[in-house]
Amino acid sequence: MSIITISNLRKAYGGFPAVDGFSLEIPEGTVFGLLGPNGAGKTTTFKCMLNLARPSGGSILFYGKPLVPETFESIAYVPERSVLYEWMTVNEHVEMTRRAFTSFDPVRARELLAQFNVDPRKRARDLSKGMKTAVMVALAFARNVKIMILDEPTGGLDPVNQRHVLSLMINEAAKGNTVLFSSHQIGQVERAAERIAVMDSGKLILEGLVDDLKGDRKIVEGIFPDIGFTLDGIANDARVARTERTERIVRLLVTGGAEEIAARLSGAGAAGVRVLDLNLEDIFLYAVSPATATADVVAKESST
Amino acid sequence: MPAVLTVDPRSGVPIYLQIIEQVKRSVALGVLQAGEQLPTVKQLAIDLTVNPNTVARAYRDLEREQVIETSPGRGSFVRADGVTQAPKVAAEIGRDALDVALREAKSVGLTRDELRRLFEAAVERWFPTTEEA
Amino acid sequence: MNYVEWLRVRNFLRIVVIVLAIFVGLGIILRVSVSRYMSPDVWVHQAMMHPGVKVTHATLPDGTQRTIIDDLAQSTHAVIDDHGYAGKHIVITEPSSRAHHEDKQVNVGSIQVFENHSGNMTTTVIDTNGAVPMVYYMLLADIVAIIVATILAAPLAREIDGHLEITLTKPITRLRYALGAIGADVAGIVAASFLTVLAFYLCQLLFESARLDFSGLNSRAIVMGLAFPLAWYAMLCAGTTWLHRSYIWVLVFTLPIAAFVGVLTIIPTNSVVALFVHDVAWVISRVDPLTYVSFAQPNEHGLLTYSDSNFTLRLSMQILFFVAYSALAIFKWQRVEA
Repeated sequence: MSIITISNLRKAYGGFPAVDGFSLEIPEGTVFGLLGPNGAGKTTTFKCMLNLARPSGGSILFYGKPLVPETFESIAYVPERSVLYEWMTVNEHVEMTRRAFTSFDPVRARELLAQFNVDPRKRARDLSKGMKTAVMVALAFARNVKIMILDEPTGGLDPVNQRHVLSLMINEAAKGNTVLFSSHQIGQVERAAERIAVMDSGKLILEGLVDDLKGDRKIVEGIFPDIGFTLDGIANDARVARTERTERIVRLLVTGGAEEIAARLSGAGAAGVRVLDLNLEDIFLYAVSPATATADVVAKESST
Repeated sequence: MPAVLTVDPRSGVPIYLQIIEQVKRSVALGVLQAGEQLPTVKQLAIDLTVNPNTVARAYRDLEREQVIETSPGRGSFVRADGVTQAPKVAAEIGRDALDVALREAKSVGLTRDELRRLFEAAVERWFPTTEEA
Repeated sequence: MNYVEWLRVRNFLRIVVIVLAIFVGLGIILRVSVSRYMSPDVWVHQAMMHPGVKVTHATLPDGTQRTIIDDLAQSTHAVIDDHGYAGKHIVITEPSSRAHHEDKQVNVGSIQVFENHSGNMTTTVIDTNGAVPMVYYMLLADIVAIIVATILAAPLAREIDGHLEITLTKPITRLRYALGAIGADVAGIVAASFLTVLAFYLCQLLFESARLDFSGLNSRAIVMGLAFPLAWYAMLCAGTTWLHRSYIWVLVFTLPIAAFVGVLTIIPTNSVVALFVHDVAWVISRVDPLTYVSFAQPNEHGLLTYSDSNFTLRLSMQILFFVAYSALAIFKWQRVEA
């Protein structure tokens, strides 16, 4: 059952479409990672989802219904930048959240703040960027909600605290809650996310289960004896997503059946055929910036 | 138990496959005994800092391959005959490793004879005859 | 009421309380040192020192101590009625050459002085049990209230300035949030007015009776004194919500600009340009609560009055401003995007 359904979302600022026909379904109980380069439209998507911005087109449904103020009792949101009140203390923020939501647990909030090493008596203006993020994260996770929407929840945090946030997200998943988050830290996404979607220029580029994406997507590489070779239609196979030819080297990005295609490549006369694994970063880079991706994959393989 | 299992999320190998492979290896090596209890899905997910559904998938596959069995309410345990499958599992791991090595070797253009010579030398390095005797 | 806005109000009210407390302290010192000069007793004692003065004492049936001073040499006759805690009532009749030339009414604290001329004699009536002059108190309270209103007056603009992700993801409607913020500020402004009046009243109470009287002019002063700052606040609220990117400038410059426009409406219109400027300023000033504020006007005798129609019109305008400007602010708030 989809807890969040985004249908054909469009949001234009002036004439510029920040989100351009984006559709996504978030199943209940998933940890869903939203990846994309800067300016891809991730934050704009979140804003449209939460009625912070009015979409130019499309719809977003929570539990099959449009968002109304009451729905916010079930949603916790951590925005990308600090929205704390500079002149208020952390304790006052805790009190404010307690008064706003019935599902808020102030004891748990203080626990989390202590774990992040935040002094609750400090005013927000005296906190570092990382600590401000930690406060927003603590306030969100101290609520017992079904849906968490986190926009770069580890911004400015040191590695220990980053791991802490990750554990909190995994805990939510273990409780059966839904977590939708965006992050530039692919390593975190690889750990915590069960499904991901890649967004670029306001559109959906790629979507799927992390395990399946990593399991199915491979690079099949072959070296031909001379430049004038033909691929015998291998490149037309439905499972070949990208073909790269540099002089005598051919690299095929395949979405499945890597071993079979490797065999066919051998059969077409290629020597030194090998199948390269792709981790999430590779998959992401191939989706949004193929040139960088290839260089990375080759460099990685050469060093092993 | 958690110390035995490690996963590398940055590897191109899906995490659930890594978990499956490591459990099988632990069983094959006797690190996991017959009837020994595995951590719960939730606990392992937290310990490894990975998504619980990934762990659940690994456990489901392990159960399908009859390496472990799960009773609701009691937990997941290594099958008694899972241990006796150790040699079978070991053989599987060995065969997979050889496939990868041979494919790499072939990809740099080694012939069958060259390969056999290299293989004998490697076996001598890893399993010195003096020790075996 | 919004917790965040309530915190803002409370933090600022603390400052107001401290300032008023200092003021009361200064007032105590000042009153102590000045009181001997303002006391009618001084005049009485001086008068009693003149040679040839005849002083008579009597006790009236209701307990009042009456002292009659006759100074035939100077044609001055004074009757002093001492009602004890209820104050003194003094009537002095003297030749006009020794007094001022206009009818006058002066209130200082609870001391009311009323001078009346007929022929070449002047009668001065001093009443030390005048009612607390709410008109002046509310004037002072409004000065404080306007300052408080200006400082508090951008609740929605402050939220738009980087906090919408928190504000608009709460389980209440935007309308309720705006009303809560405005409500907190209104409470703060009213509280500041009340505290200011209280401070002045305490100052007065320490040294003399301060009889509260809520009839006529006084009650009108109180009502107008409460309504005007709220209307002013609402206007600033609307201005800052619409111009939320530069709301600080709106807060700083609205009062000077309103004053300037007010000045322009009374410039001499002796040229076409002046007439045009005057008319434009007149139109602009119609939407400014400052144009419609008044606590009382002196009539031809110099007495303060407030006619029914005048009061009703001005009060209605303040209420209208409060409602209309608040609505304008909320209208913009409903549409703002993060």
